[in-house]
Amino acid sequence: MSEAALELRQVTKRFGDVVAVDRVDLAVPRNRVVALVGESGSGKTTTGLMALRLVTPSAGQILLEGEDITALGQKQLKPHRRRMQVVFQDSYASLDPMMTLGEIIAEPLGIHQVGTPAERREQAQGWLEKVGLDGSYANRYPHELSGGQRQRVAVARALILGASVLVADEPTSALDVSVKAQIVNLLQSLQEQMGLSILFISHDLSVVRSLADEVVVMLRGRVVERAPTDRIFAAARHPYTQSLLDAVPVVDPSRRRRRTFLSAEEIAARTPRVRPHELEAPPPVDTAEPQLVALAGSHFVEAIVTERAA
Amino acid sequence: MTGFIVRRALSMLVTFIVVSIVIFLMMHAIPGGPFDGYEMPLPDNIKQRLMATLGLDKPLWEQYLRYMWGVLHFDFGVPYQSPGETVMGLVAHAWLPSLTLGGLGILVGAPIGILLGMAAALRRNSWIDYLASAVATLGLTIPVFIISTGLILVFAVWLHWTPASGWGEPKRWILPILAYGAVPLATYARYARSTMLDALNKPFVTVLRAKGLSEGRIVFQHVLRNAAIPMVTIFPVMFVGIATGSIFVEAMFRVPGLGAYFVSSIDKRDYPLEMALMLLISALYSVSYLIADICYALLNPRIRVDGGSR
Repeated sequence: MSEAALELRQVTKRFGDVVAVDRVDLAVPRNRVVALVGESGSGKTTTGLMALRLVTPSAGQILLEGEDITALGQKQLKPHRRRMQVVFQDSYASLDPMMTLGEIIAEPLGIHQVGTPAERREQAQGWLEKVGLDGSYANRYPHELSGGQRQRVAVARALILGASVLVADEPTSALDVSVKAQIVNLLQSLQEQMGLSILFISHDLSVVRSLADEVVVMLRGRVVERAPTDRIFAAARHPYTQSLLDAVPVVDPSRRRRRTFLSAEEIAARTPRVRPHELEAPPPVDTAEPQLVALAGSHFVEAIVTERAA
Repeated sequence: MTGFIVRRALSMLVTFIVVSIVIFLMMHAIPGGPFDGYEMPLPDNIKQRLMATLGLDKPLWEQYLRYMWGVLHFDFGVPYQSPGETVMGLVAHAWLPSLTLGGLGILVGAPIGILLGMAAALRRNSWIDYLASAVATLGLTIPVFIISTGLILVFAVWLHWTPASGWGEPKRWILPILAYGAVPLATYARYARSTMLDALNKPFVTVLRAKGLSEGRIVFQHVLRNAAIPMVTIFPVMFVGIATGSIFVEAMFRVPGLGAYFVSSIDKRDYPLEMALMLLISALYSVSYLIADICYALLNPRIRVDGGSR
């Protein structure tokens, strides 16, 4: 396998004294979906914005298809921007209310001077249909659409330049359950068709489960657990990940799990202990503090390495 | 759009009639009459003769209908305090200075305020942002007669740049224009800053950055267009408020404008003039709100009244 489509290495963001994102390592392999989950304030959105180079990292590196784009200025970034795109949660605020949908979808082509205005219009029309909207919507305005329809427009605008990397920041969080499923299906089919690599930021684990190949869990700016989706749902090790899983609603009341809300102290107290023989690789640092360690099956968890059982 | 304007014009007519009745009744509800001055009381028989000549001995409803019948023929009567001319003539010659100075004041103040507010929004927490906030707060909180005094003191008394009183030769207009400009400047500085910030913080701006659109184009092609709507729509109403004269500004600068008549007509029970001024103001405000609504509808696709959108 060649280099990842998008890779973050030890990326850190400080806002004054606050460390919003703390030495995050993350890689989205080509043609894969990686979910970044965590509660609000966990730094997942900032991480996404840094990946897009919309927020400048305080430290660390960002690689787009193997190329280091951390130090590029906005001008130098412009050609790279064609390859990475974004969809946000608030579908209404994401679309300029003064423009028609056709103009909105075609605008990226104009920014990168692709084709003539007529060709751009035609492409925009084509993309409307690709995301499941009628071509006649080109002359409508964002306020005339439902949230799900607007999110389709946002997806069309994101992909019209043929991006290979998509950062989707809670794209389904504001939608009804049925509409949510439609958008997830749309993303899934476009991902397969176009060979997209998606960084899917969400707190909705039910969506994550159906879409993601790998899950990265963030807590207060740090990655606390990272594993293939199946392993996260089957064998999460970190107490915070477990509490997130417990919070997923279960339809059958008799099977309803007890919800656990963990405070920072409780999480600290329950930090997993792993014994050295469980590790796939030696721990990066020799310390009694919690650190991200590799377990079998590409499973990483923030844990304390100790000889004694917890 | 035509239907909308016709409906609005009809509702304006109704408003106008209701306002005229209310004002007429309130005006006559104030105790005393035009000939009840304290200094030189008129003998009763003369007073009665005068009242009869002016029709003030008739029942109120008849007086009202007579007056409004005159209004329909653009005859607003004769001002009691200046019987040598008509109300129309008096308003026309007194309104000219107010309209000129107030109008120029807003035309000077509003653009400066907009530029200041825009600069403040684009350079948040810089010196220009603090300057804009200071100007906005001071301009709205310091009474205009204090501002006027300050202007006279600095520019006329200390610097000898301008005459202290205004009207007549254009040099004399400078200070009253500045005084009239303070409120629109302060209002627009605040408005421009907050509407720009509002638009700048929308996710669609982030998306445009992610597309690689330059900051300058983002501001001029997207942010300004969105921020302009509220700024345009407050203009007509503000214009009427300022261009009908301020008793304070006009008293400070000895401008023979309309402002003073608003007080003197009530004080002297100058019924025809008072009624005319009130009708003028309510008509101007009605029209200005209609213009504001039309501007809003033209600028904002969300409430465009027809043309395929709902």
